[in-house]
Amino acid sequence: MAGYTSDELRAMVQPDRVHRAIYTDPAIFEIEMEKIFRRVWLYVGHESLVPNPGDYYCTHLARQPVVLSRHKDDGICVLFNRCGHRGAKVLNRERGNAKVFTCMYHGWSFRPNGALAGVPMRQDFPEEPLADQQFGMAQLPRVESYRGFVFASFNPDVEPLLDYLAEARRGIDELVDRSPEGEVALSAGCHRYHYRGNWKLQLENLADMYHPAACHASTVGPDGRQFKRRAGDEGGDAAFFAPNGEAIVAQTGVRGLNNRHSSEASLFDKEQSGGHWDDYRAILVERYGEERTADILKNRRHSMTFFPSSDILLAQTSVRVIRPVAVDFTEVEVWPVRLVGAPNSISDDLVRFVNMTHAAASFIQSDDMEAFERCQEGLRTQGTDWVLVARGLGAEIDEGDGVFFGPRSSEVGQRAQHEAWRDLMGA
Amino acid sequence: MSVTADSRAVAGSNAVRLEELRRFLEHEAELLDERRFDEWCELYTEDATYWVPANPEQENWRDHVSLFYDDKHTMRVRVQRLNHPRIHCQSPPSSCVRVISGVRLDEVTAEGGWLVRSKFVMVEDRPGNPQRVFGGRYSHTIVQEDDQLRIRLKRVDLTNCDQSFPMLTQPF
Repeated sequence: MAGYTSDELRAMVQPDRVHRAIYTDPAIFEIEMEKIFRRVWLYVGHESLVPNPGDYYCTHLARQPVVLSRHKDDGICVLFNRCGHRGAKVLNRERGNAKVFTCMYHGWSFRPNGALAGVPMRQDFPEEPLADQQFGMAQLPRVESYRGFVFASFNPDVEPLLDYLAEARRGIDELVDRSPEGEVALSAGCHRYHYRGNWKLQLENLADMYHPAACHASTVGPDGRQFKRRAGDEGGDAAFFAPNGEAIVAQTGVRGLNNRHSSEASLFDKEQSGGHWDDYRAILVERYGEERTADILKNRRHSMTFFPSSDILLAQTSVRVIRPVAVDFTEVEVWPVRLVGAPNSISDDLVRFVNMTHAAASFIQSDDMEAFERCQEGLRTQGTDWVLVARGLGAEIDEGDGVFFGPRSSEVGQRAQHEAWRDLMGA
Repeated sequence: MSVTADSRAVAGSNAVRLEELRRFLEHEAELLDERRFDEWCELYTEDATYWVPANPEQENWRDHVSLFYDDKHTMRVRVQRLNHPRIHCQSPPSSCVRVISGVRLDEVTAEGGWLVRSKFVMVEDRPGNPQRVFGGRYSHTIVQEDDQLRIRLKRVDLTNCDQSFPMLTQPF
């Protein structure tokens, strides 16, 4: 396995390009798990997945099985899914509810906060290790939640979550504010897809407004507009091409935030209206007033992406999670949210449209996956070591608070992701 | 006619009907295998639904995501895309075969249609990609419209419906 010094890793990110090895070298992938995924905040899941004490939801962070659970006194917990005795994974179903979590191997059981609850034939063990918390189900060192979104870190010294999210927290605010109650529920399950490619290919794609015109051409009708992908009689579809063939969609701007996160501006040209959308809007106006409602429903952003592995897809009212499995294999989940307090018909539509946009069988995601796999294959070639990330370089507009706006499908968002990669990997 | 003879006659006509429905299902599979997507779409009523749930016990499309939940309009958009020259994930295209077995007439619906259940296996090959095998159960609600059999609802329950998928382009 090739070793890399911090300086060598730093040098893989240049202002306008990155080295192809960051996508293809298994040694770099292992360093990423250590220096990125075990250092920063990672999104685990949403509190609505575990509404009652004893509820659990199993997932993975940095390739390790973990459990999001709710304890009657301690509230939300994130545990390593490992028996404190001999190491077996304790919970083997994705979701459920139990008073204690029982290991199938020797029958040890744990409370939803990870504390050891029961040991069969306990008298034959010395008591000392049994009192040690590490022989329960250990908790992740840091867990914080923002408006229902639970993040955890393997790093006990990580900065507070809101400092890490910084300006990108607005993505969560803008999603949750669409609920008249200020609450979303991830209660409709998720789409799961995987591709034979590096995790950063998906991450960078979430800050890429340059690709839709070419990559998603098959989703556009003869009138130059994409298929209808969100609710309302009006404003459900976006203009991709002008009558003269010009790619309007590629005029959409992108932002880099705080040298790590990214956000795409909205590609929709009309506000949603008509049909049951107007009923929903009326409820929001009653709750928030006309001015605030107009701001909440404004076509502001397509996405807000949190480095390194999660994304609020505002255009599709859903949450995306990227799960690196190997240097050339990635799993992704897309969870539509239901808006608590909105008419059911609106939340039903949110679920239905994501089937069309982001299921493995969807019109959009399938061509993205094809692009990721072709990148992974192409990046194996040795003709050129550098990958160009130069679009809009030098044309960024400083909006303050660490936010840089790049018009015309700038690659400024990808450059922000790469800066975060460089600073963490080069540390 | 005695009761026994009457029920025999009903059983006989059901057998003829079942054979007709079985041939219809095989015709649908053939159109998909041959990538005749426009003709495939024509087999469905205007109020049709093509549904592939993403959960084994999924009762409706509202409470849970689906791999496919297409009304006729969405089916047309899907077919339009499958026929589009720039559908990159079908360049080169997939080659598929669908094998149907165990066709049974489950019930005659209140509207005079038929609920037909069957099992299927689909093999998908695409150059540069591993061969893929899908299996599961079909439930077709079929009606008679102007002397034509048409599908009002097709539900496909894949054995692995709640797992992670590579890109899916072909209807099952």
